[in-house]
Amino acid sequence: MGDNDKAISDLLETVRENPSYLGYWSVFKKIERLEIPPPEDETQLIRVAVIGSSTLEPVAACLDVMIRLEGLHPQTFIGGFNTFRQEALDPMSPFRQLDPDVVVLAVDAWSLLDQLFLSSFPRMNDKERKSSQKEIVKAVSAVAKELEKSTSALVLVNNFIVPVFSPLGVADSKQQLGIRDFFADANRALAEEFRTSNRVHVVDLDSTAAAFGKDRVVNWNTMYRGSIPFSEEFTPVVAEGYLRYIRAIRGLAKKCIVLDLDNTLWGGIIGEDGMEGIKLGNTSPGIEYVDFQRVLLSLYNRGIILAVNSKNNFEDAIKVLREHPYQVLREEHFAALRINWQNKPTNLIELAEEINIGLDSIVFIDDSPVEREQVRQTLPEVLVVDLPENPRLYRQTLENLDVFDVLSLTKEDMARGEMYVGKRKRAELERDAGSLDDFLKTLDLKVLIQPVSDFDTPRVVQLIGKTNQFNLTTRRYTDAQVQQFRDSEDSTVYSMAVTDKFGDEGVVGVAIVKANNGDRIIDSFLMSCRVIGRSVETAFLARIIADARAAGASRVIGEYIPTKKNPPASDLYERHGFGMPTTDEAGVTSWILNLDEQTVEIPEWIEVREE
Amino acid sequence: MTEIDDRIAEIVSLVLLLDKDEISDDLKRKDYEPWDSMAHLLLISEVESRFNIFFDDDEVVDIWTIGDLKKVLASKL
Repeated sequence: MGDNDKAISDLLETVRENPSYLGYWSVFKKIERLEIPPPEDETQLIRVAVIGSSTLEPVAACLDVMIRLEGLHPQTFIGGFNTFRQEALDPMSPFRQLDPDVVVLAVDAWSLLDQLFLSSFPRMNDKERKSSQKEIVKAVSAVAKELEKSTSALVLVNNFIVPVFSPLGVADSKQQLGIRDFFADANRALAEEFRTSNRVHVVDLDSTAAAFGKDRVVNWNTMYRGSIPFSEEFTPVVAEGYLRYIRAIRGLAKKCIVLDLDNTLWGGIIGEDGMEGIKLGNTSPGIEYVDFQRVLLSLYNRGIILAVNSKNNFEDAIKVLREHPYQVLREEHFAALRINWQNKPTNLIELAEEINIGLDSIVFIDDSPVEREQVRQTLPEVLVVDLPENPRLYRQTLENLDVFDVLSLTKEDMARGEMYVGKRKRAELERDAGSLDDFLKTLDLKVLIQPVSDFDTPRVVQLIGKTNQFNLTTRRYTDAQVQQFRDSEDSTVYSMAVTDKFGDEGVVGVAIVKANNGDRIIDSFLMSCRVIGRSVETAFLARIIADARAAGASRVIGEYIPTKKNPPASDLYERHGFGMPTTDEAGVTSWILNLDEQTVEIPEWIEVREE
Repeated sequence: MTEIDDRIAEIVSLVLLLDKDEISDDLKRKDYEPWDSMAHLLLISEVESRFNIFFDDDEVVDIWTIGDLKKVLASKL
């Protein structure tokens, strides 16, 4: 086991240094030969199946190795050539037996169309074109729907690459349904088909191909010799696209961007050049910084947290944020600011503590290679962006990062920025209040705890997928698994929403409670780090315990699985009077509360709302 | 070793999972299990892209050893 670990990490190091197609392939094959047993830590395991209409070994190999580079342990199943229908539909197929967590469905449009399609297209009438179009959309969506129904996997469906060539030439767009519209509309129909599905996601392969260069998407030699759909250069790019979804479901996406100021948000040095001297305006030089900030603001508006880490006199720098007419990001957009002369790693550690997120959720953007290197060496968990020297390329660099994905955006995401302003104000109030109790009493805390509604289920699944710190067991359940818990009579999925006088935090807590004879087992208990320190977890536990009592249970058992990131949650059960902890072989500690002897009360400063 | 030999060795070592010093001209497709049809396909296409040439299908089928590969390649450079 130890030898294998070493061998794998050496292999991964080679591909980290040289992330080429052939490098991925070689490492994939070498790891395959090691015949590694599944990991002891179940949460590291991810079963991936890649099925479709062509030879998919290369893209599956790249994806497999990329997943390993993220620290997970993939088990990859690769479908046979054009056998995706049988694999998807036959419950006894090896693919279905694998019980995959993620299925990639990669079907080429041309494999679905009549062989004469291209030749006949110019003479086909609108009706014939429409009917072919419907067929290809249906061929793919029917299989995706079957996968949604019969597996619990996240299903990633490629859309179609809109061809560049049209036999109709420049007149293509003058047709009622030209060849490019034929595919583009098919893609729209496919996206529409799964717009509201929580588990089927249409991957925009067409855009990925366009950004890469459609002429270079296929290597015709390997296409004709072996039906390999993508060129050597494009294959890893396609795999990256799937990886984004996997990061999102496994809590590996980034949540916060920490920004330097001088020569990053504006050109020049505020301490030397002054308000009038720095480059920030509506012409170049200056507009490139404004545009970079606009993209940052767009990310802020969908829930990415922003913070500042700058070596400056506070008064000089804050004046730009408050008063410069072209500054896009204002003080209120930042969840926390460190403008001082401390070293950057120290500031980053403080920022992570203040915002209450892990260092591994942070992206650091700084124009100085020296600062970047220091952060990289001191805090390897932080993603340090290699900002190009040329500020005109800042924007593109940020747009190409692709590390912030969540599978669906909730109203909590949209309002996150404002919540952090509330958090800053709360911190000020806390400083002014005499004691913690006084502070909590002035907050007007209200919680709403209930079995999760249909409306809040996507948010609950999102929280289960991404909460790392205040998470007692870090069990990552998929949408389908959460649905099973909801449907079962023996389990309850609770959501907790929190508001206070500074704002509505929305749904920030999740618990999954299973019934086992006279016991109620808290399988999962987690809370967004935003609400840590307000005793709402006590109100949440009080409700679970009250429900258990009402159902006639005799004990409530709280499970705890330690991880690198969840020490903030480690004493939850102990400080609420649970006792007699026992730890099983799998590392799960069970804390017991006897309902005859003990209970947990709702803190007096929390009002429990009913709906 | 010539520069061409060296570039070939690099590709072969990655595709056929061998250290460079384990590669010899008599390495045979039939006798070496990792050299399956998929590996053959990758090997050929990688040599094609690296040397900016292309092989006919007949030539691809007739490459049975590393020596064969080098011989066919030499005829195209």
